Amino acid sequence: MIEAKESIRLVAGKEVALDRNGFLKDPSMWSEELAVILAREAGLDPLSESHWRVLRFMRRYYAEQGRAPLNHEIKSGTGFSMMDLESIFPGGIKDGARRLAGMPGLKGCGGASMGL
Amino acid sequence: MDRASQPIYLDNAATTFPKPREVLAQMIEAYTRLGVSPGRGSYDLAVEAEELVQQCRKKVASFFGAPDPDRVVFANNATDALNLAIQGLLEAGDHVVATRLEHNSVLRPLYHLQQSGLIEYDLAPFAEDGFVDPSDVAELIRPATRLVIVSHASNVLGTIQPISEIARLCVERGVPLIVDAAQSAGQVPIDMDAWGVSAVAFTGHKSLYGPTGIGGLVITPSLDVRTTRFGGTGIESMSLIHTQTFPHRLEAGTINLLGIIGLSGGLDYLLAKGMDSIHRRGVELLTRLRDGLSELEGVDLYCAQDLSDHVAVLTANVPGLEPEDLGAILDVDFGIAVRTGLHCAPLVHEDLGTSPNGGVRFSLGCFNTVEDIDTAIEAMASISKHKKR
Repeated sequence: MIEAKESIRLVAGKEVALDRNGFLKDPSMWSEELAVILAREAGLDPLSESHWRVLRFMRRYYAEQGRAPLNHEIKSGTGFSMMDLESIFPGGIKDGARRLAGMPGLKGCGGASMGL
Repeated sequence: MDRASQPIYLDNAATTFPKPREVLAQMIEAYTRLGVSPGRGSYDLAVEAEELVQQCRKKVASFFGAPDPDRVVFANNATDALNLAIQGLLEAGDHVVATRLEHNSVLRPLYHLQQSGLIEYDLAPFAEDGFVDPSDVAELIRPATRLVIVSHASNVLGTIQPISEIARLCVERGVPLIVDAAQSAGQVPIDMDAWGVSAVAFTGHKSLYGPTGIGGLVITPSLDVRTTRFGGTGIESMSLIHTQTFPHRLEAGTINLLGIIGLSGGLDYLLAKGMDSIHRRGVELLTRLRDGLSELEGVDLYCAQDLSDHVAVLTANVPGLEPEDLGAILDVDFGIAVRTGLHCAPLVHEDLGTSPNGGVRFSLGCFNTVEDIDTAIEAMASISKHKKR
């Protein structure tokens, strides 16, 4: 379950701000230590090679392109279908994989983006 | 899926896509020839451009059964048109009746005015089948009620509300009825004059097959909507007071000529194809989709038992799967574009028990095929089976 309020976490001596949906407010604050902590809190311990492949692809893509990868780019970049990605990350694609990778929350018409 | 090819597009309730080639061709041709400021200059091109605008007003008035083309006011979309009406009609102390089916295009302006201490409003419920009982609307009307606003067709459930009956009750009570026709215009006939509807807010880019950025408010002469936006109109320019002559009373600044040309072309397209036949075909495909999905284990459908009074919209969920993820899977793994989330109608999802994450909406358009529907059913079958493992 994702927290419904903003929070500040201390990770490896650095303060990291998360929004009310548990997404990093500043994607540049991501670290592998943070991913491990968030994964553990989501019931995923340890992160497997498959998980790291996805997370590292997204981080690399973000560093190179300055934006989060589209879903089809994640599929072509990692070899995982969306269905597989959804099943290996607790919370699924957006609230699982994207959140653990420190990607910005996607804009959409869900509760999160409506501020509910 | 080959990303170079188009996905199967099932998000037509957001906007119809693709647009008919005839409409796009008409837009390019007319705007290339006449893309000047209409209703301002006296040179022939400007006069001709204005004539295009007036022709479109006449088409829109005729389409909605409205008596006066000058009371067809162009706006950006249905939300914009609803704001024109809501802000231009309500005053301090007024009360409004709407329904829990409303889109944020109605809910947010009302909430804003309520929070500003100006108005109060009540929302009529919808039943388990997705329909509002007209008597529930009538019961909420009180002496201070200045307006009733009802969404003609729910953008989440697809249910077409009994507007003529609600209008009859509003006429009896002497309260104007504004119809939000964002989803219904172009799907089912609307006859303002016969039904006694005071205003219709519509958008051009959904089932009227025009481009985004054009819509309007069609009003009856008895509805006195105040000006809430002020500026140039091309008439009465000496006066600092914004003209009270319709349609300029509610149109400030240069209007969207390209959008109006597209709206006009979309109406021509729709009438040539036959609104009734497009709607019937849409409901046939919707029924096929509903029947296919209802046979699947692990797929929830909402208010879809009887599709006889529906536009081609169906909302579903796969329990255990976030709607946004379901949409991503449909998009990337199966090449199907759908709309996920709350669909800007949070109260509908609250009442369905699907809040805050909403659902996945399949909405069909005139270019969808049986093959599109069968592909969607197969995709949902694969996903629900995978999720059950």
